[in-house]
Amino acid sequence: MPLLYPLVLAAALFGIGLYGVLARRNAVLMLLGVELMLNAANLNLVAFDAWFGDKMHSGQVLTLFTIALAAAEIGLGLAIILTLFRALRTVDVDQVGVDR
Amino acid sequence: MNVTEAVFLLFAIVAVVSALLAMTSHQLVHSALWLVVTLGSVAGCFVVMTAEFVAWVQVLVYVGSVVVLVIFALMMTRQPAAGPSAEVTGNRWAAGALGIVAAVGLGATVTAGFRGERIKGQRIGTARSIGDALFHDWVLGFEILSVVLLAALIGAIVISRSGSEH
Amino acid sequence: MRRHWPYVALTAVLSVAAAAWAIPQLDDDHGTTHVWVRGDALLGVSLATHVDGLAAQVMLLAVGVGLLVQIYSTAYLGHHPRYRSYALIIVLFLIAMLTVVVADDFFVLLVGWEVMGLCSYLLIGHEWQTTEARSGAAKAFLMTRIADLGLLVGILVIGQTYGTYRISEVLAAGPKNSTAIALLLLIAVVGKSAQFPLHTWLPDAMPGPTPITALIHAATMVAAGVYLIARLLPIFEASELAMTLLAIIAAITMLLGALFALAQTDLKRALAWSTVSQLAFMFAALAAGDRDAATNHLLSHGAFKALLFLGCGCLMHAVGSSSLSAMGGLRRSMPVTFGAMTIGFAALAGVVPTAGFFSKDGVLEALHHAADGSGVLPDVLGEIVFYVALATSLVTAAYATRLWLVAFFGDAKEHDEAPQAMIGPVVALAAASLVLSIGQPFHFGIGLLSTIIAAAGIGMVVWAWRAQGNLDIDAPLLARELDLDAPYARWLPALVGSAARLVVAVDRDGVDVYPRSSATIAQFASRGLDLLQSRNVQRYATVIAAGVALLTAAAVIWT
Repeated sequence: MPLLYPLVLAAALFGIGLYGVLARRNAVLMLLGVELMLNAANLNLVAFDAWFGDKMHSGQVLTLFTIALAAAEIGLGLAIILTLFRALRTVDVDQVGVDR
Repeated sequence: MNVTEAVFLLFAIVAVVSALLAMTSHQLVHSALWLVVTLGSVAGCFVVMTAEFVAWVQVLVYVGSVVVLVIFALMMTRQPAAGPSAEVTGNRWAAGALGIVAAVGLGATVTAGFRGERIKGQRIGTARSIGDALFHDWVLGFEILSVVLLAALIGAIVISRSGSEH
Repeated sequence: MRRHWPYVALTAVLSVAAAAWAIPQLDDDHGTTHVWVRGDALLGVSLATHVDGLAAQVMLLAVGVGLLVQIYSTAYLGHHPRYRSYALIIVLFLIAMLTVVVADDFFVLLVGWEVMGLCSYLLIGHEWQTTEARSGAAKAFLMTRIADLGLLVGILVIGQTYGTYRISEVLAAGPKNSTAIALLLLIAVVGKSAQFPLHTWLPDAMPGPTPITALIHAATMVAAGVYLIARLLPIFEASELAMTLLAIIAAITMLLGALFALAQTDLKRALAWSTVSQLAFMFAALAAGDRDAATNHLLSHGAFKALLFLGCGCLMHAVGSSSLSAMGGLRRSMPVTFGAMTIGFAALAGVVPTAGFFSKDGVLEALHHAADGSGVLPDVLGEIVFYVALATSLVTAAYATRLWLVAFFGDAKEHDEAPQAMIGPVVALAAASLVLSIGQPFHFGIGLLSTIIAAAGIGMVVWAWRAQGNLDIDAPLLARELDLDAPYARWLPALVGSAARLVVAVDRDGVDVYPRSSATIAQFASRGLDLLQSRNVQRYATVIAAGVALLTAAAVIWT
């Protein structure tokens, strides 16, 4: 299988995720965009691991770490968003910071 | 093109299309559900690349917990009157341009760097081999990560509680 | 009366001192120059004096009239609450006039010239509780002040041209750049001596006290203009343009002034117009290049016009108004005033034995001479001015007779004669009007002609008086003085207004562009910075992502 397939897929997902982070109004969906970008990185890690055949399986292990960190990140992010929502009754990022 | 490649491309197409839908859908819950499809497809890609263990973790952690958490959060932060067009900000054109630039730039880079390289297809990702690597070579990182997770757990609780007090 | 003697004594001391200085120089044609304080390189103004025959004559005229006016004022204005400042300003006025006359440095002359303008402003506005006095004073000050700019610029041009501000040195150096200098000085003179087109301030200065009018009209203010040109005549003579302009101005002014004087219903105002007209005679003589004729007429006019104004003050003292309709038949009740003013009017009209006749004769002779082509003036212009002067003589005789008749004849009215302190100066001036004719040159042909013309004017008016019984002149346009004031009243405010608007526009659209554009730039910059400081997380993220993309692209391209 050409190495390019997963790499190009990762690039596309990264771009889509970036768009989501920059464009979605809802803060929760911004976090989802971040998850998408992380997944693109994971794809790269796994693909290079498979291509390189590393004995330490660095790519896959780092992918697991990333997944764990992403879980932690989304947990913290959602906690922050919930606090924000309680304080402002909104999770629109373009409303946050305006007209306190 | 063999069957493996065809399956990978299938998963890839499903992943890209569902990711686009997830990032553009006007229904928030639909976005979360389309993201489930994307993450599942990526997990499928992992499987095709013989990284089974990572794929299962992906399904368990992402599809099983993260997306459920996100759907809960979406439901808890539902706003009374949010029009469908209000789901993207005025920043969307710049965001779209940057997304395309990033995708094309990265794609061009990897294409220039790795054209013609192939994945051999040997099995790399059994649970046994990953477990060996994880608890042999990467045990320090693993422990640090567990501390990080604990810190994140406590932090999430503290942030939520302090928010509720006000 | 005790209160007044210090001021009279002060004026007398001044007069005696000036006379003692002037009398030895009366026959000195070259003059003596004395430098009191020499100017140095830092400040090139020398405190120098130059007194020749001309200056001595004008000095004597000024201090003589000034002393008489001061004496007269003790009775006329002695009980005025502001008499003290009034009397002191008269002294200052005389000192300023003497400064102008004796100064041998243009800047010293300018100082005297301006102080005179200030004093005339203060004295015309002496009765500042009335609107007419205030506006008349302001008008006199502004008009002469604007004209004085010509003197200032002219002096600067002289300094640039000759490298010195000393009058005697300038005159000795011979004419250079004279057209520009002469035209600039002409502006100042036209303003100061109330010549067309800056003539309108003099009649409006009439709300001032009558002795002041006499002082301004006879001896000081307006005489300064004549004196300045007489002093600097070599410069003017070198410029045909300036002399032509002077002649034209004089011709217009003399006839206009006489006609306006004829139509007035107010004695004082009529005399004021007569001054304007008579000054134009002097300027005509100067334009013809005859300095002696001009100064002779200046002296005799100074005497008889001061006489007429002071006499007018006596009449006003008796009647309580300067309006001609309030007068009439005063011949019997005020015999001394009548006699003196008869001499004055005769001198004004140019009747034979008076000084006015001889000095006017000299002027006419000079003009006639100029028509021969011997002077600077073009022949045709000299001829025109000569005939205009003859016509003016006719009108002058007519209005002098008219004023005389209306004031003193007709139905008798009972009034008290003026007090001694007022009668005295009037009589003295009447005597001077006669005495000044002694030794005057006489030209038979011209004298005969002017006598005939004067007789014709007098005869016409007397005939009209006999036939009509009154001398009311129904010429509203003349009485309104041809509305020559209207342009000033209408255009000047409009001009100033538009100039102010222009300044405002320049300030707003020219000067303010810089602060406003800098403000705009700052606003744009702040708006640009505001985009960066939007408090919007996504914007920040977008900027970061764009920066990363750019840096990466740059790194890829340039490595």
